[in-house]
Amino acid sequence: MIEFQDLTKTYGRLRAVEGLSLRVEPGEVYALLGPNGAGKTTALRCLATLQAPTSGTALVGDADVRERPLVVRARIGFLAASMGLYERLTPVELLQYFGRLHSMEGSALDGRVAELVRVFGITPFASQRCGTLSTGQAQRVSVARALIHDPPALILDEPTMGLDVLSGEVIYRFIEAERERGKAILFSTHHMAEVQLLADRVGVLSGGRLVAEGTPASLIERTGEPNLARAFLALVQDVTPEEPA
Amino acid sequence: MSSAWVVFRKELRETLRDRRTLTVMVVIPILLYPLLLIASEQFALLGIRRIESEASQVAVSGPASEDLLDFLASDEDLELLDVPDPVEAIRSDFVGAVVVFGPRPAADATQSVTVLYDAADERSQRARAVVARALGSWDDTLLARRLVERGLPSGFAEPLAVADSSVARAEELGGYTLGRFLPLLLIVMTLLGTFYPAIDMAAGEKERGTLETLLTAPVPARQIVVGKFLAVALIGVVAAGLNLASMLLTFQTGLFQLGGSLDIDFALPWGSVLIIFATLIPLAVLFGSLFLGIALRSRSFKEAQTALTPVYLLVMVPALLPVFPGIGFTVALAAVPVAGLGIFFRELMAGSPALAPSMVAVVTTALWAWAALAFASDSFGREDVLFGAGDARVESGGGLRERLRRLLGPVSSTPSTAQAIGFIAAVAVLFFYMGFPLQAGWGERGLLLSEWLLLLIPAFLFVRIGGFDFSETFSFRRPGGPQVAGALLLVSGAMPLGWFLAWAQGFVLPVPWDMLEGLEDLITAESPSRLLWLLALLALTPAICEEAVFRGVLLSGIRGRASVVRVAVFNGLVFGAFHISFESAFRFLPTAWLGFILAWAVLSTRSIWVGVLMHFVNNGSIVLIASVPALRAWLEDGGEAPPWVLLAPALLALLVGVRLLGGEAVAARGMPDTADSL
Repeated sequence: MIEFQDLTKTYGRLRAVEGLSLRVEPGEVYALLGPNGAGKTTALRCLATLQAPTSGTALVGDADVRERPLVVRARIGFLAASMGLYERLTPVELLQYFGRLHSMEGSALDGRVAELVRVFGITPFASQRCGTLSTGQAQRVSVARALIHDPPALILDEPTMGLDVLSGEVIYRFIEAERERGKAILFSTHHMAEVQLLADRVGVLSGGRLVAEGTPASLIERTGEPNLARAFLALVQDVTPEEPA
Repeated sequence: MSSAWVVFRKELRETLRDRRTLTVMVVIPILLYPLLLIASEQFALLGIRRIESEASQVAVSGPASEDLLDFLASDEDLELLDVPDPVEAIRSDFVGAVVVFGPRPAADATQSVTVLYDAADERSQRARAVVARALGSWDDTLLARRLVERGLPSGFAEPLAVADSSVARAEELGGYTLGRFLPLLLIVMTLLGTFYPAIDMAAGEKERGTLETLLTAPVPARQIVVGKFLAVALIGVVAAGLNLASMLLTFQTGLFQLGGSLDIDFALPWGSVLIIFATLIPLAVLFGSLFLGIALRSRSFKEAQTALTPVYLLVMVPALLPVFPGIGFTVALAAVPVAGLGIFFRELMAGSPALAPSMVAVVTTALWAWAALAFASDSFGREDVLFGAGDARVESGGGLRERLRRLLGPVSSTPSTAQAIGFIAAVAVLFFYMGFPLQAGWGERGLLLSEWLLLLIPAFLFVRIGGFDFSETFSFRRPGGPQVAGALLLVSGAMPLGWFLAWAQGFVLPVPWDMLEGLEDLITAESPSRLLWLLALLALTPAICEEAVFRGVLLSGIRGRASVVRVAVFNGLVFGAFHISFESAFRFLPTAWLGFILAWAVLSTRSIWVGVLMHFVNNGSIVLIASVPALRAWLEDGGEAPPWVLLAPALLALLVGVRLLGGEAVAARGMPDTADSL
């Protein structure tokens, strides 16, 4: 469903992502791990058609990000690390806005907005402006926004960043529910606990390269470390990050 | 529903919830302007009335007749005082004016009278006016008495009784008065109306992180831009429209009357109001798109404000033109962005706009607006504009040494745009503070030194210290034979066309002939050795030094950021701007044209030697023409206009040159259009 094919992204002589190839199947949750600057955000942005790959490509279903960006965008729900809410709109107005941008209209749009407001517990603050929401409330609205068009693939860039345990739990439940519905989910994170909790498979990026891939258990086993955090450290320390030339 | 319409509605809704915009758009025109105008007029009137209600204190000095003193003393508006020191008495505000009488004349002769007053003091001005009136009245009385004594008729001393009377109708006078300041106000308010919304919709959206989210919606980037600029333009137009309405109503209600002394009707015809309102739309689009395009390049609201402030001030220059006296409504001026429309408004308010310049003003404003929109659209499609040159987390951090290395050193083998422009700015400052004094003090030797020391050496040092690739930055590629031929043809066509441009520019900008004559002396050689020296100084030196800076460092920094033509235009504009000074603004257009041609040729051939050759030929030709009397006589045969016979061959040479070089034009190698080309 989601596929990177030898994707490379460079900025001048800096190789942010190099030869990335991976696949996320429908109903699978794939976690992208890596230290700061490893290239996670760049890879996700390339997949979300926000940035052009320097070489290689990425696909969502049969749609290539280079050739059919609008089709790719229609098939993904993208949650950026920054929540991306319009402060002077209410959550309902925001959801309606993005729904219309996805060509939804009338009762179909109203019904979908009402459903998401209910599912994510947005009702108590549905008519408040987004600028007045707490971090947890804003993240729930943000996730609902990514799901407004019910996309088959989800790309989540650090979805629990800055959230408390309770708000994080809402996101976990959402990811699990979407997996049950057969969605292909690719998310980046720094939290090993949520990787172990959610991810079917893990990819470890370091210096722009995919240095390891497998289930959390297989990575622990491969490194001989007692837990995923140790395994991750062992994997990224094995690789000397490429310095910008 | 069109995506642009969806974006437009959302932007409008959000903007109308923004207090800043509402203040600029609604509160200022509807409340603040009328209040300010009325309050300022009332305060002014109050002050004037208070001054007028008091008798002006005046002193007299010198031998005045008793009759005159009695006459002055009897004036209710005057209070005569004695002062020992007239000047000190005025300066210390003891009296408003002092009447100083000269020596008593013989009978029937003229006595000189000087009224001392303080021009910087309103009471003193009032005292002077009252004294002048009284003295004038006494003068008339005295004259009448003398005429009667001699049995002469009153017309003897006044053969002509001159009076003037304006035939302007009250509404014409109103239109003329409005036309003096309302165009500026409308332009400024359109500018202000678009300023904050544009920043908010571009840099604000980036800062809040919403742009990333928006761009993952399945909507072409152009639709988003169109939605945004429509919202910005509408807000600008509404802001300007509210200002227009508020101002007209304030005048028409009679609350503000410009002192109430004139018979003025401020009612503009509805037709004129509608035309003004309609033509504000392309102006708002122009401002909105320009601001959007620039604001998109900033990372935050604050950064965008800083970036847009100089643009705002720059736009104010043409906006002020209609206010200045003697600025006519010519076709050439009508084509100047912002100024053309401002003068059109002025003429429309006065009721007599000429058709041709009016059409030119409206059409060119629409064209400028279209160009600005293309600029904004282009910015929106570029990932380097939207997300910078890479992940901030990758680029930032490191110790001081690392930061300095990043600041000075290259990420790639050629300078970045910012580095190249920063270098040009530094060279400009260097040239201003050192180059001009060198040239003023040492003449030709100073010019030579300033070119080599302040242009070429800094360019080489910049590339050396920055660690850039010399060959790539300066495009040290040997051109082929056809390229050399193409370059020669191109420059031989471009030179006469540059002359035509300069001639056409003369209709707008006055040509400083005195200065040109001085320049002519400098470039005219009377002997072969002098000719060689002038060729070395004025042709070879700039060909090497200026090419290294403008087609070397600058071009390498901007190459690939846009299409070849756009990059060449930018290069030409910078080159033109570098050559202007207070006395030589007329050089801008021809020099920018030359810079554009040189940049295009270097981009097309990837060889700076082509630029050096063309630059040398261009400057060398000017020296030769000036120094060969027969050639000069032939070229100057038509007076100030260039010989029209040159036009066709020049165009032909240009086209063949373009054809020869254009075949190898190097395609732009910028970042791909993120949103639309993927």
